[in-house]
Formats: sequence, C-alpha cells, structure tokens
Amino acid sequence: MKKLLVVLLAVGMLFSFAACGGEEAVEPTTFELALVTDVGTIDDKSFNQGTWEGLKQYAEENSITYKYYQPTEQTDAAYLDGINLAIAGGAKVVVCPGYLFGPAVTEAAKANPDISFIVIDTAPTEECANVYSISYAEEQSGYLAGYAAVKDGFTKLGFMGGMAVPAVVAFGGGFVQGAHDAAAELNIPVEVRYTYTGGFIASPEVQTQAGSWYNDGTEVIFACGGGIWASVAAAAEATDTMMIGVDTDQNSYSEKMLTSAYKQLGVSVYKVLEKYYAGEFPGGAVDVWSAVEEGIGLPMETSRFASFSQADYDAIYAKLVDGSVVVERTTAEMKMTKYADNNISVKVIE
Amino acid sequence: MTTLVFIFQQTMFFTIPLMIVALGGMFSERSGIVNIALEGIMLIGAFCSILFISIFQTVMSGQLLLLCAIGVAGLAGIIISLFHAYASVNMKADQVISGTAINMLAPALAIYVARLLTGVQQIYFDNTFRIAKVPFLGDIPVIGPLLFQKTYITTYIGFLILIISAIVLYKTRFGLRLRACGEHPHAADSVGINVYKMRYAGVMISGFLGGIGGLIFIVPTSTCFNATVAGYGFLALAVLIFGNWKPLPIFGAALFFGLMKTVASSYSGVPFLADLGVPNVVFKMIPYLATMIILAFTSKNSQMPKAEGIPYDKGSR
Repeated sequence: MKKLLVVLLAVGMLFSFAACGGEEAVEPTTFELALVTDVGTIDDKSFNQGTWEGLKQYAEENSITYKYYQPTEQTDAAYLDGINLAIAGGAKVVVCPGYLFGPAVTEAAKANPDISFIVIDTAPTEECANVYSISYAEEQSGYLAGYAAVKDGFTKLGFMGGMAVPAVVAFGGGFVQGAHDAAAELNIPVEVRYTYTGGFIASPEVQTQAGSWYNDGTEVIFACGGGIWASVAAAAEATDTMMIGVDTDQNSYSEKMLTSAYKQLGVSVYKVLEKYYAGEFPGGAVDVWSAVEEGIGLPMETSRFASFSQADYDAIYAKLVDGSVVVERTTAEMKMTKYADNNISVKVIE
Repeated sequence: MTTLVFIFQQTMFFTIPLMIVALGGMFSERSGIVNIALEGIMLIGAFCSILFISIFQTVMSGQLLLLCAIGVAGLAGIIISLFHAYASVNMKADQVISGTAINMLAPALAIYVARLLTGVQQIYFDNTFRIAKVPFLGDIPVIGPLLFQKTYITTYIGFLILIISAIVLYKTRFGLRLRACGEHPHAADSVGINVYKMRYAGVMISGFLGGIGGLIFIVPTSTCFNATVAGYGFLALAVLIFGNWKPLPIFGAALFFGLMKTVASSYSGVPFLADLGVPNVVFKMIPYLATMIILAFTSKNSQMPKAEGIPYDKGSR
C-alpha cells in the first residue's frame, strides 16, 4: 500500500513539473486580443473554434499578441471571472462567442469602458457603447442549403432540428423555403420531412429516427443542432445517403456530408478586428450578418455536390445580397406547412 | 419487407448491448453484489475502447480493430469494477453507494482524460466495422437480409455471450458456486467455497461484459463518443430485473425493450405506423407503460437472489 502511494505521488509530481514547464515556455506577458470561450473548448470543431480561428488569423497576420481564456464553469460569475482575467492579462478587445454571455459582458463592459467587446449570437442586456454584438441570418444559410440540395437532384429532404429555439427554427424555415424555390424553378415535386428531436446531443433514438427516414426514401437530412449530427451521420453512413451539417464547415466530419449551412464566425470576427484597428469599432451596434456581409453561406470547396456548381452558388448568393430573394425568418409560432404548395409538401412530425 | 428488415436490425442495435450489460449485471447480482454501477462501467468501457479505436484506426481497421477494442473495453470494465468489488467485498460498504460513486465518477473521468489527451471532450472514430453482407449466408432468403446483411460482428458476439452465460451459470461448478453465494453465502462457505473470491469473480464478469456493452452500444449508433451512454446502463438494470436474473428471460426482456425503443423513434419513417395518426408521445410512452404493466403482473414471481446486497461477514451467523 505504501509503495503504491509513493509511486502515485511520484507520478503526480512528474505531472506538475510538466505543467510548470509548459507555462514557462510562454513568452509575452500581456495579450492584446482575448477570447473567452463558451461551453466547450477552443477546438470543439464548432462555435468556439470558428471564432478563435478568425481572431488568431488576424492576430498572426498583424503580429498582435492573443490568448484564450476558458471559464471554469457555465455561470455568469465564471464568465465574468474569465473576462476579468483576460482584461488583467492586458486585453484590449475581448471576444465572447455564445448566447449565454449577455449578462456577464454587460457587467464587464460597464466596469471597463475603455475595453472593447465583441459578442456573438447575443446582445448586452442594456446598451453599452463599447460592445459590438453580432448575430446571423440563419434563415439565409438554411435557404442556401435547401436550395442547393434540390438543385443538386435531391427531391426527398429531411430536417432534424435540436429544439425549436430561434436559430434552429430560422435554419429550418430557410431550408424549407430554399427547397421550395428550387423546386419551383425546376418544376418538380419535392417532399420535406420536418421534426425536432428534443435535444442537442447524439443518441441512438436520433440515429434510429434518421435511419427510418433514410430507409423510407429520404435522400438527405439537414442535421441542425449541436451533437445530433453524429447520430445522423451514423445513419447516413449505414444507408449510404447524404446529410447536411450546420453552424461551421462540418464537411470533414463524415464522407456523407453533402454540405454545411454555416455562419462565418471567423470572418466576422476578423472583419470587426480590422475595423477596430482602423479606429472604427462599431461599438453599441447590434448587427445581423447576412449574405450582404458574407456572414453566412455554404463551404463550396469542401462540399460534395454532384451538379450544383460554384456558378450556381454565386448566382443565388447574389440574389440574396441584392434582395431579389427575400427569406422569411421563421419563428416557433409559425407553421412550417405554410410553405407547402404544388411543388413542395411539408410533413411536420410533432 | 425492407421496413421490417430495418426495424429488426435497428432493434438489434438496442437489444444486444442491453442484453450483454444486463447479463453482466446478472453475474454480479447472482453472486450477491448489487451492481448499479453498470452505467458507469459501460461508459468507461466505451470511453477506453473508442479512444483505442481513434488512436489505432490509422494502422488497422475492420473486424480486427473491433475485436481488439472489445478486449480493451472488457479490460477497462474489469478495472473500474474492481473498485466496486473492493468496496463491497473487502470493505463491506453499502453496495449502492459505491455503485453510485462509480456512476458519478465515470463521465467526469472520461471528460477529464479525453481533454487531457486530445484537448476535446468528443472522441471521433471511423466506422469501418459494418459488414455489408456475410458471404453465402447473406444470400439466404428472409434470414439473409435479417441476420447476415448490414450487420456487425458484435451481434453474433452478443448471442455467443448469451449462450456461454447460460452454460456457465447452470452447467458448470463455477456457476453453481456463484449462485450459492448469492442465495446463502454462509452455507456456501460451510462447504469450503471462498465467498469473497466468488463475489470478486461475479463483479469482474459484470465489469467485463458491461465494458463490452458500452462499446457495442456506441459503434453502430454514432460517429463520436461524447462521454455518455444516455442512461442505457440503468435501462440494462431494468432489463435485468424484468428478466428475473435469468439469461434467457433477460434476452427476451432486452428484445422487448429494443423493439419498443425502435418503434418509438422510427415510427415517422415507417409508413403504416406513420399513417395511424397516433401522436408522438404515445409511441414514446409505450415501452415504459408496457414495462410497468408487465412488472406489476410478474413481480410476485420475482426471483431476486436472497443474499443480494448484504455484505458477507464470516463472523456473523
């Protein structure tokens, strides 16, 4: 027993030495650009990572010091601690991705008027002149995915959202509208199955449901919500069918990813940082980034379309930009079946 | 026909892991140790083996990798179950508490180690384990599509485990002694059986099977492991009770749960079920409702091992 204890202690000490070594290697002592992560880590292949890459790219191109801070837990107090730590570390711009940051950022912004904040997918609870808030036109992103899928030859589509939260409903509504417009252009009948799985995690139930849809003829499913893509991917791989990812470029996750309806997290952070260093930080504004700002889109280089080309994409994207195509931002109160007509049938599974 | 085949295959994805884990629980409980740590054991088994797959999938793939991973899962399950065995056999602790401790420890440990090693909590893996069609057997009408197409080697391993479990429990000296320790450990001790050893064996078998069950549960239904087995360890516990602590009834119970789970989540893609116009909640309710009704009728004949949950103390008579 004693020997075991000695060995354990020795191993523990080794680990702590290793940890010390890691910290000593860091040279700069202050970091001008800071990111405070939301739930999840910096390489979550999703929200945090997308934002971080934009920040990192700008910082490296312009030789600015940067660092990220990870709150210890998912509470306003811990978020505030994370932000304060960043400020104490010399941050001039603090980026906070995630809709839970609202209250913490508001408090930090009022206490530190000379620091600039960028928040994503949320807004400060009261007006702050040093906070710029970004949200995205998810409906346009979903629209592009639906449009591209139908144009690419898919006629039986599925939508599996996590829960009926605003972003997911907007994605879903856009997806149906995009499918509708493409179906009308091609004058072919298109079917859409539509449901919310009731959660944002992968589960065998989601895999079963996706499998049953694929088995019943559905050709592509838009998996729109957190981790459920993993379950849909398992079903798609088993049935040799396709799926669509969400939020970031998920095309590398599975061979069966047709495309991803993404938000340009990195690009928007990059552009705002550019403005900040040009002395035009748009503090106090709450902006929705749409196709006009290139805030949303599909990653065409990595997508696996058979016939939908870059030119097709550019054409429809231009229509979103110039406003000749207007996508309605669907809300949870609306019925998805309102988009149904001769060309498209929408089957909502409650 | 394709719909029926789909439902059957999907049912197997639920049934096999539930059955294997419940069989593991059976060995532990028949030896006299309550094992509510099945959830935690499944999780650790799945975690270690999926990690193993994600590391070694660059050098090997297919069935060999899966078989190695099954070994890793079983080993990991045994190691974590030893904590439970030590607490409940040597320390004579309350078995529910140490089981709960493992259930609470497992997800936290999995997340911590995963982040330490890879930086992220999710562990991604490539599924190279699907067998499109077993040669010859896959061409048999009806049975071929049901059992030998789009399947996993784990399905057959599951049935193998079922047969071996039944034989071990009823036809071997070891099985008889194990059961004796669960029913009347003092009597077993009086004829020279080492009750502590038998109980250790029971818990370790449950760790082995629980760990394997965790892996088998994740592989066909996801493409990454996110530190959860979604409560299926607890469901396996229900299967164990439902199956009356006996191998074949456990298989029946697992099949029932698997079928109900499948129907509840796949009805929207099955034309004749979707056309019934029954609300979603009814389908989701059916498995639990049926369980309650059946348990109410069968609880009288429950054959729970008599000495289960009572720490064995040589001194007390």
